[in-house]
Amino acid sequence: MGRVASTGRRIHRLLIANRGEIAARVIRTCGRLGIESVLAASDADLESLPARLADRVVRLGPADAARSYLDPAAVVRAARAVEADAVHPGYGFLSENPSLARACAAAGIVFIGPTPESLEAVGDKLTARSHAVAAGLPVVPGGEAADLAGAQAVAAEVGYPLLVKAVGGGGGRGMKLVAGPGDLARTLDLAVSEAAAAFGDPRVYLERFVSSGRHVELQILGDGSRAVALGDRDCSVQRRYQKLFEEAPAPLLSDALRAEMTAAALALAGHLRYRGLGTVELLVDRARGTFYFLEMNARIQVEHPVTEMVTGLDLVAEQIAVAEGLPLRIRQEDVVLTGHAVECRINAEDWTTGFRPSPGRIDRVVLPVGEGLRVDTHVQGGSDVPPHYDSLLAKLIVHGTDRDDAVARARAALDLLRIEGVATTVPVHQALLADPEFAAGGVDTTFFERFLDQQLVGAR
Amino acid sequence: MADVGLVDVSLRDGNQSLWGATGLRTAHIAQVAPLMERVGFRALDYSSSTAMGVAVRTHREDPWERLRLTRAAMPTTKLQFIGTGFRFISWQNSHPETMQLVYDRLVVNGIDRVVVLDPMHDMDAARETARRLKQAGVDEVIGALTFTISVVHDDAFYADLAGQFAADPNFDRVYVKDPAGILSAERARTLLPAIVARLQGTPLELHSHATIGLSPMTYSIAPELGVEVVQVGSGALGNGSSLPEARRTVANLRAMGHRVDIDDRALGMVCDFFDGLAVAEELPVGRPQDFDAAFLHHQIAGGVMTTTRRQLSEIGMEHRFDALVEEVGVVRAEMGHPIMVTPFPQMVVSQALFNVIGERYANVPDQVIRYVLGSFGRPTAPIDPTVKDRILDRPRARELASEPPPPPPAELRKRFRRGISDEELLLRAHMPEDQVDAMLAAAPAPRHFNPSLAPVLTLLHELGSRTSVHDLAVTTPGLRMSVRRASGGTSVG
Repeated sequence: MGRVASTGRRIHRLLIANRGEIAARVIRTCGRLGIESVLAASDADLESLPARLADRVVRLGPADAARSYLDPAAVVRAARAVEADAVHPGYGFLSENPSLARACAAAGIVFIGPTPESLEAVGDKLTARSHAVAAGLPVVPGGEAADLAGAQAVAAEVGYPLLVKAVGGGGGRGMKLVAGPGDLARTLDLAVSEAAAAFGDPRVYLERFVSSGRHVELQILGDGSRAVALGDRDCSVQRRYQKLFEEAPAPLLSDALRAEMTAAALALAGHLRYRGLGTVELLVDRARGTFYFLEMNARIQVEHPVTEMVTGLDLVAEQIAVAEGLPLRIRQEDVVLTGHAVECRINAEDWTTGFRPSPGRIDRVVLPVGEGLRVDTHVQGGSDVPPHYDSLLAKLIVHGTDRDDAVARARAALDLLRIEGVATTVPVHQALLADPEFAAGGVDTTFFERFLDQQLVGAR
Repeated sequence: MADVGLVDVSLRDGNQSLWGATGLRTAHIAQVAPLMERVGFRALDYSSSTAMGVAVRTHREDPWERLRLTRAAMPTTKLQFIGTGFRFISWQNSHPETMQLVYDRLVVNGIDRVVVLDPMHDMDAARETARRLKQAGVDEVIGALTFTISVVHDDAFYADLAGQFAADPNFDRVYVKDPAGILSAERARTLLPAIVARLQGTPLELHSHATIGLSPMTYSIAPELGVEVVQVGSGALGNGSSLPEARRTVANLRAMGHRVDIDDRALGMVCDFFDGLAVAEELPVGRPQDFDAAFLHHQIAGGVMTTTRRQLSEIGMEHRFDALVEEVGVVRAEMGHPIMVTPFPQMVVSQALFNVIGERYANVPDQVIRYVLGSFGRPTAPIDPTVKDRILDRPRARELASEPPPPPPAELRKRFRRGISDEELLLRAHMPEDQVDAMLAAAPAPRHFNPSLAPVLTLLHELGSRTSVHDLAVTTPGLRMSVRRASGGTSVG
């Protein structure tokens, strides 16, 4: 356990090319590590809470994300202007964009994330799938469909119902269900033209539709030569593929399945010689009691705090350390999971009107505090929630001795939490945590939409 | 112009000199370690067997766990342990194989730099310790040239020792250790070049306490005399009887035209942390010291002065402090001028204390008897024969003289429960077992400490103990905090 030599570069000043709660989250770790934080903010975020928490702020561009948070050249310009040693891309925006990673490297700036090669390997769904197959991971039966004949051939193998997915899509975007052979041609045409319009890439592929699946993901951390698995998370509570509630560890999985999933994630990390934080998303087929590789996210996840609560690690600090070229300081046998953690994503959305975004001025914020409670947020009384970006206001994270304890404490914490001035999803979380099916644990990805229908019926 | 490196001593010597070795706990160290890692210190003076003992005894915290946490937070900074090579935690000498086990476990848990400190300058013993340290895998072994002013300790004396360290491949570096802070710039101008001339390229560091305000000046000229690294304390843990303060030292070195490659901002955060900690825990802050000519006589180092004042006031004899200081000088001469560095200041001062409050040498602590018996090595000058006879002519001296030799590790293992780790064995073998039990019962130690939250936590703690308070709201500009007593008795805010 002696001292190690760093092969990289010490980071003293870090540019955060993101906004919202993840910007505040990265700033907090910078403060703890003695790294000077510089927030690259769009015009809409210059007065935000992260802008006040950061040691410095640099203007990134106009409010329009395409010309600020999504513009690699603007990010590198900002990093150079403040002489930052490194760029943290957060999640979303440019976090998995190989061209930002390349531009940073060309400018002599450390990109806090995987190598451009890894980003390319997992950024494209088909390439990711072929890497997963090469690493020995099970994948959902399926394949690329260049034309209708090709699609029919694949469909004959995987059977109906099936999904048509855009190669460039993700997070549930660019996915279509095909119930039977009669719908294939029409859906394929629609999917191809939509994929071309939305992602600039018309390629699509077909996949078996798993009727009752759970979204379980493995957190991994690699240094380029070695990787560790930091436990799993269940993110099955989703609405239109958007996660609302996450927990760690995933409930009600057999030890054998969990071990297989861990081994699979580590195999993929090893195959990619992965460096950085990554999440291997798996689909657990409830009927068959097995799992398939879905995709890999090469960045920090929104739901990373539940893993931090049960492992006691600061994942942002670990991410920075491996980006500095330091070898992993955690061995697999050092990873001990304690208790259970849950996370409620609190969005500025009106759940009674189809989760319509509700931007505006926040009047008052009251946050619960206490042992095992954590709120990651970027708003306080007087904050503006701009209409240009996603609607995530805060994440309530609760650590308990077991799942029941965590859920009970989360209920109490939600009752204390106040974010006033905009509509929030707090009420839907309160209803969710009171639901008996949810309380039993292990729901599938279709659960939440059913739950929501019941709630709305009940509300009428 | 030279490149000058820094070794920070705040966590070990700073804590020992200014806060009686008891100020810092695991939470403090775990909190400040990532900041210290970022500064770019060449090494930290991190621990000693005294510091490890205090962790267990005073704080009920596992010093091994503390070391592992620190190493995890500081993957690239060298962490230094300082020891004599004879003892671990207790005052009694340990078996050489036990010392080997100590070194092995220190390395496994994260120590990679060790100072061999033998104030008697017994080079045979120092070479043997260095050999064992290298066997344990210690990356950097430092030989100590312990400075004092006396007729025997002239430049040639130190130059000869420096030559001996340089000739032994098990020593990687050498440092001049000035525990009393009496190395003036004037003396440094002859002493340091004499040492460097014999080092044959072995790097030289300087460690000079700021006790009488001399060392900041000595430091500012040291690089031009061949010193590559100076040792400093940060913020509240610099100055006073600790080492020169880090930021001031960096500014001085740069003003002298030297290059100091550190992250100044991170250093500022480290200093601010210790300053905030001193306020939150009501600990004294190191301040620049006035020159004190009398100090050249008694040479009581670092924390011993603080501890001694406290002990005197505890027995209501604070007014005898000056008489005690006088007696310290006399006892030191009678003991053969031991250099006033651990463990000798404690030994000389406690004997002087007994001599001042009662008849001279009527009461003699065990460690003084052991010193006279030769357990600590050969004194630099002969012990006063009358005093020697007086000390040895008592039953306790005969008891100690006939003590069996210290047991080897295999023997120690038989005395304790099977299956305990080597780390636990070493603590149990050298400390009262109930203290180790209490430490284990209190585990794990807290790992976070925010000095600015201390007043709020004190307030909440006090409120918790007042069951008549049900609701409290505190409003200040920018903060509104409310606390309500829940029906179950726990409070939430």
